[in-house]
Amino acid sequence: MEYDVTIGIEIHCELKTVTKMFSGAPCTFGRKANTCTNEIDLGHPGAMPCVNKDAVARAIEACTALHLTIDPLVKFDRKNYYYSDLPKGFQITQQFHPIGRNGYVVIDTAEGEKKIRINRIHMEEDTAKQFHLTTKTLLDYNRAGTPLIEIVSEPDMTSGEEAQKYVEALRQTLYYIGVSDVRMEEGSMRCDVNVSIKPKGSDVFGTKNEIKNLNSISNIGKAVDFEVERQKQILESGGKVEQETRRFDEKSGETVLMRRKEGNVDYKFFPEPNIFPIRLDANWIRSIQESMPELPDARKERYTRDYGLSEHDIGILIANKELSEFFEEVMKHTQNAKSACNWLLSDVSGWLNRNEKTIENCDLKPENLAKLIAMIDSGKISSKQAKELLNDLMEGKDPEAVAKEKGMEQVSDTGALEKMIEDVLDANPQAIADFAAGKDRAVGFLVGQVMKASRGKANPGLVNKMIGEALKKRI
Amino acid sequence: MMIAEMVKDREGAEKRCLEAYEKAKQLQEKYNDVITFVDPTEQLKNLPEEGLMRGVPIALKDNVSTKGILTTAGSRILSNYVPVFDAKIVTKLKEAGAVVIAKASMDELAMGGTNKTCFTGASLNPWDTSRMTGGSSGGSAALVASGVVPMAIGSDTGDSVRKPASFCGIVGVKPTYGRISRYGIIPYSSSLDHVGYFTRSIKDACVALKVLAGRDDRDMTSSFREVPDYSALLNSDLHGRKIAVFGNVRDGLTNANTAKLFDDLMESLKAKGAEITVFRFDEALMKAMLPTYYLIANCEATSNHSNLDGIRFGVREPGDSMEEIMTNSRTKGFGPLIRKRFVIGSYGLFEENQERLFRKAQKVRRLIVQQLNECLKDADCLIAPASNDIAPLLNDDSRDQLSDEYLVVENHMVIGNFSGYPSMTVPMGFENGCPLGINLTCRAFDEETMFDIGRAIEEITGYENLTAEVK
Repeated sequence: MEYDVTIGIEIHCELKTVTKMFSGAPCTFGRKANTCTNEIDLGHPGAMPCVNKDAVARAIEACTALHLTIDPLVKFDRKNYYYSDLPKGFQITQQFHPIGRNGYVVIDTAEGEKKIRINRIHMEEDTAKQFHLTTKTLLDYNRAGTPLIEIVSEPDMTSGEEAQKYVEALRQTLYYIGVSDVRMEEGSMRCDVNVSIKPKGSDVFGTKNEIKNLNSISNIGKAVDFEVERQKQILESGGKVEQETRRFDEKSGETVLMRRKEGNVDYKFFPEPNIFPIRLDANWIRSIQESMPELPDARKERYTRDYGLSEHDIGILIANKELSEFFEEVMKHTQNAKSACNWLLSDVSGWLNRNEKTIENCDLKPENLAKLIAMIDSGKISSKQAKELLNDLMEGKDPEAVAKEKGMEQVSDTGALEKMIEDVLDANPQAIADFAAGKDRAVGFLVGQVMKASRGKANPGLVNKMIGEALKKRI
Repeated sequence: MMIAEMVKDREGAEKRCLEAYEKAKQLQEKYNDVITFVDPTEQLKNLPEEGLMRGVPIALKDNVSTKGILTTAGSRILSNYVPVFDAKIVTKLKEAGAVVIAKASMDELAMGGTNKTCFTGASLNPWDTSRMTGGSSGGSAALVASGVVPMAIGSDTGDSVRKPASFCGIVGVKPTYGRISRYGIIPYSSSLDHVGYFTRSIKDACVALKVLAGRDDRDMTSSFREVPDYSALLNSDLHGRKIAVFGNVRDGLTNANTAKLFDDLMESLKAKGAEITVFRFDEALMKAMLPTYYLIANCEATSNHSNLDGIRFGVREPGDSMEEIMTNSRTKGFGPLIRKRFVIGSYGLFEENQERLFRKAQKVRRLIVQQLNECLKDADCLIAPASNDIAPLLNDDSRDQLSDEYLVVENHMVIGNFSGYPSMTVPMGFENGCPLGINLTCRAFDEETMFDIGRAIEEITGYENLTAEVK
């Protein structure tokens, strides 16, 4: 039997702010437990929330980048439940009036571009972190109160691949505008994926299961694929899919039951009485939107227009925001976009991986890479020689100076080359005969001989061209 | 001695504060007003050079957070809780030079009108120790009434400052919502909670509000409005003042003595130039007032107090899991009245009930405020006796029971909390040697008018600086 797969995704994303959503305590990651917290985050009696304006600005940026309509009247609500990681016994969130509604992201699928709709984005605060030991539970309140946005998609995805692409697109956009670190492995971006299946064409939705604990984008694809298969097997064997919360187990690649029927919790939502509705100034919203960094889509368009790079290359380049920004710096010093892009994506990226560095924390200077490209283009050095300069280049050295130091200057003096070529031809009559007999590889052999004679310094392009001409004269 | 006189007497500061501290201790056996005594010695060493309350001993209701000093809110679950921060008003009072000598008794978590539900026991009325102080700020009221301190902080969610002020024969002020920061006040019901205070005169009330009021960025509901110089503006001339009698309350009085006291006072106000009218609220709305109050207050309270779980602070009861620890701590930590209120609040917030209970209560609240607005469109002030009778006897168990009996006379002052408008009780007269107050409610942020009319009443009755006979 064929099935329709329906996937919706909820993403919690920590906002990059100096202080917390409702308190002046610092937002940090990896600090000593319970050092970045105050009476508000700890839910001490009498402490009151105060909305972090920066967090609201970040949320507005996220809404704008993801094409949501912004509600200029900001309101907060309480979500009431008892849990040891929830200091106040309620979470301040935006149940009734999310800051943004009705947006979308576009992903590429085999059938072309697809719009995945976003239902809402709302602001809320994070909980404390729990560490369950055998005999006790430890609580770290550093995370409590960290600003979050929750991004809720419409159930528009139909495969693990689409789910993966949706999250990747969101991640890239949020990273580009700098509102979040979006590190899934550190938990600054957390995904809950809802999956259900129904017989193809049926208009009755199947029972959905929520998958938690997805700490990488590739795991999202794996988890969804596994879950779809699991649900299929249940239905095929005549069973019924139960509403469950499941967790993805990385080792086995399977989803595992966490708990059943979570839908029955009554959170007793009601408006937060300590925060009056806040009317956002239209000019303030506009000023935030106008000073936002360039989005990936806009950058893609610009690169296609200005640099004439292939779609494939642009895709890889802008996937790494910092690398693409470095590329633009290089382009201030050269016209050869293709070469700059190739160098960055292959040799430079390779070197960074090997040395466990990133483009931001290495010593490579954009103008030096441009210089190297110019040296190759003008025939001063060969591509092979250029690769030998990579280490020095990455250490911040001037390629021109290093090439000179190493005696790498390519011989492009036609007089000197002519002499060398004549000598090589005189010494290899058999090769001339082969060439005359139509064996083209004789040329390669002769070029090699000239390069050898020059100890690698001859300009191979030039040698190639000159040998062709010299051979024609001899036959 | 008035606050202004105390401030002038710079040399007397130390002696005065230490004496107040000692007197509070002496009276404790009699009245049980205090939960924690605060030694003033250190504070006296750090007095500011100047300040509107320099060297004035004061008491704080025990739901006011004091850094390093036990703050219990009258509840067993917080009986070991020492805050790590000061409430905003504590900072302001210290900057003005006030010296805290005691954390006063209160009904558990400020939920009550008897001051009998404090985990340290009832506080007793200094005018008659067989009677209640009223609550929930009873300890603070008694400390002012017995002359220990000229000013004490309370909090008012239904009438928790104004009712005990009436029973203790002093001035009880609940300014406009947002006028005084609530940061650091252990809450009851956030949309109804106000910081209030007690003094023995309107003049002292003017000084105290100047010290306490003002914007606090940590309380987003606090107002940016400038704080007027209430003392300089005080003017008891009633010519041109329009005062509306709360008709429903006046009609509901069953105590002839109270009715006479009130009617006579209205005559005197008229004689001083005021125009007296009568305003009657819709009777159905009046009947809805108490249930509306209980619903909003209990719903918000159950959420506000969800943090009291024994995990991070407070008394922790043992248990085999986090859930069990929380359940046990809450079960043992709260008195029966509190548990009852939490159940009601929770019920009112459930998804299937919220629309017809909590949300409906808020709609009724708005309707009541609309009527009050109509009244205050024409009148400067709504006036009524604070209560039908003097303070109830301690063994009167009818109070604070959630009954369906309609008691507008006893519960009308909650209108000041629904609206957030300034409301105040001043002494009106006596019965059997026990005092009884009159309540005034004015327009938002018009504390000035409230003080003016209050001062005029004070001039008529002569009840300024009343102190209970301490036998």
